[in-house]
Amino acid sequence: MAVDDMPVPTPPVSSARPGTLQRVDDWVEERLGWHQLAGVLLHVRVPIRAKTFFFGGITLFLFGVQIATGTLLALYYKPTPEAAYDSVIFITSDLDFGWLIRSVHHWAANLMILFLVLHMIRIFFQAAYKYPRELTWIVGMGLLGVTMLFGFTGYLLPWDQRAYWATVVGTEIAGGIPIIGDFALEVLRGGADVTEATLSRFFGIHVLVLPLMLGAIVAVHLVFVHQQGLADPKEADPRPPAVPTGRTKPFFPNYILEEVIAWLFLLAILVVMASIWPAGLEEEANPLVTPEHTKPEWYFLGVYELLKHIPIKVVGILTPVVFLAILALLPFLDRNPEIRARKRPVAIFLGIVTIAVLIGLTIWGYVS
Amino acid sequence: MATSQAAPRGSSDGVPRRRFLGLLLGFSVVSLGAMVAAPIVAFLLPPKSTGAAGGGKTLVGTVADIPLGQGKVVPVGSTPAIIINTEQGVKGFNAICPHLGCIVAWDQGAGNIVCPCHDGRFNASTGAVVSGPPPSGLPPLDVSVEGEEIYVVSA
Repeated sequence: MAVDDMPVPTPPVSSARPGTLQRVDDWVEERLGWHQLAGVLLHVRVPIRAKTFFFGGITLFLFGVQIATGTLLALYYKPTPEAAYDSVIFITSDLDFGWLIRSVHHWAANLMILFLVLHMIRIFFQAAYKYPRELTWIVGMGLLGVTMLFGFTGYLLPWDQRAYWATVVGTEIAGGIPIIGDFALEVLRGGADVTEATLSRFFGIHVLVLPLMLGAIVAVHLVFVHQQGLADPKEADPRPPAVPTGRTKPFFPNYILEEVIAWLFLLAILVVMASIWPAGLEEEANPLVTPEHTKPEWYFLGVYELLKHIPIKVVGILTPVVFLAILALLPFLDRNPEIRARKRPVAIFLGIVTIAVLIGLTIWGYVS
Repeated sequence: MATSQAAPRGSSDGVPRRRFLGLLLGFSVVSLGAMVAAPIVAFLLPPKSTGAAGGGKTLVGTVADIPLGQGKVVPVGSTPAIIINTEQGVKGFNAICPHLGCIVAWDQGAGNIVCPCHDGRFNASTGAVVSGPPPSGLPPLDVSVEGEEIYVVSA
């Protein structure tokens, strides 16, 4: 039987399930009519040619891992300069599975940024940012920004030398933005220097503000994806009133099953990475001594290297800002309606060059 | 043959394939849940030794601090102890009342140890219950006096 001929299973949970579960299902259904809701949410169809590589779903899964592990860490972490470092040591050394929870949080943060970037690259090369998905792309850029802020604010929390000086440099960069720089520096640090005020506001932003923001923006992103369906990389979406004709498969359970398998695979990788390369900790932060060769996390290494080579500070700071702005406006700058790679050589060429430059700067920053 | 009517295709012992797969799936889901939950539950339980003194001698004061007939509550690691200078020598007890966990105090007028919450009273020399609701006496501590200094010795 062809996949696109498969019947849509409705209702989703009541098929031939006798006993208690069926009765609970009936009880809830009678009150909420949730079969209809589940049908609307789950019983959509996915183009059989759609190749997502599960990058976006994996990023969402990693966000879930961050919420779970972050909540656990927050139960023991103490956001003051006197206690932060010791509480991280306590979590890592004294608590059962503390090393695992902290290291999984560390690696899931890194992988979240990696898979978010891979997801963006996939969207770019499949031209899925074009009509009708321009808004989904812009909302996705918001997710990139919030995720980077997660990395930046979370980095300070262990209060070791690397954390402290990366934050000094990072907030100093924000302070270099023309016009609003001084204000941004003051707001970020909660004063002129990186102190206990900085630590407590980074902690508050990291565990309260950003999760709520990311959750809300993810919800919008998913609603958009749900409304539009997944993009077919071989065929542009028709303009109204045309009707899609491509072959499809059910989102639930077919696509979801594949996605969950990818998530479980990632969970296994996370545990292995956390076990082989546990999250490290340098000496406790000392505002009087900057360690030699202090560097940011890998996802900021490109900007770090750029700042070293552009002699005018303002230009170095504004270059990544302008790059992100161009990226956000990509659906409106790239007016070519074609989605097949060979029909959009300029975009593909520029995309490859951009990725190569970013990887080059990152590697340069790493080895320099 | 009509046996296929009794058991669905793929079943050799009467357990239908669908049910077998359902059980297998259930087992997998429960195993996965347990695998994720075990470290989380263990992490949530703080270690028992948190903040406790690592053993050895703790200086809790001098005889001048606690003259004959007087007592004082002092910290020994993270545990409060009450030290009383009695005619039978310097005595020490765990200062946590075994009734409901309040910290006991020295009642100089009555010459015994009192719990301020429910007026439980303890003998200054033995820690035994004199009156009130405590179910048992105060656990004694090993106290040694070296010169003027008073130490609590813990294992």
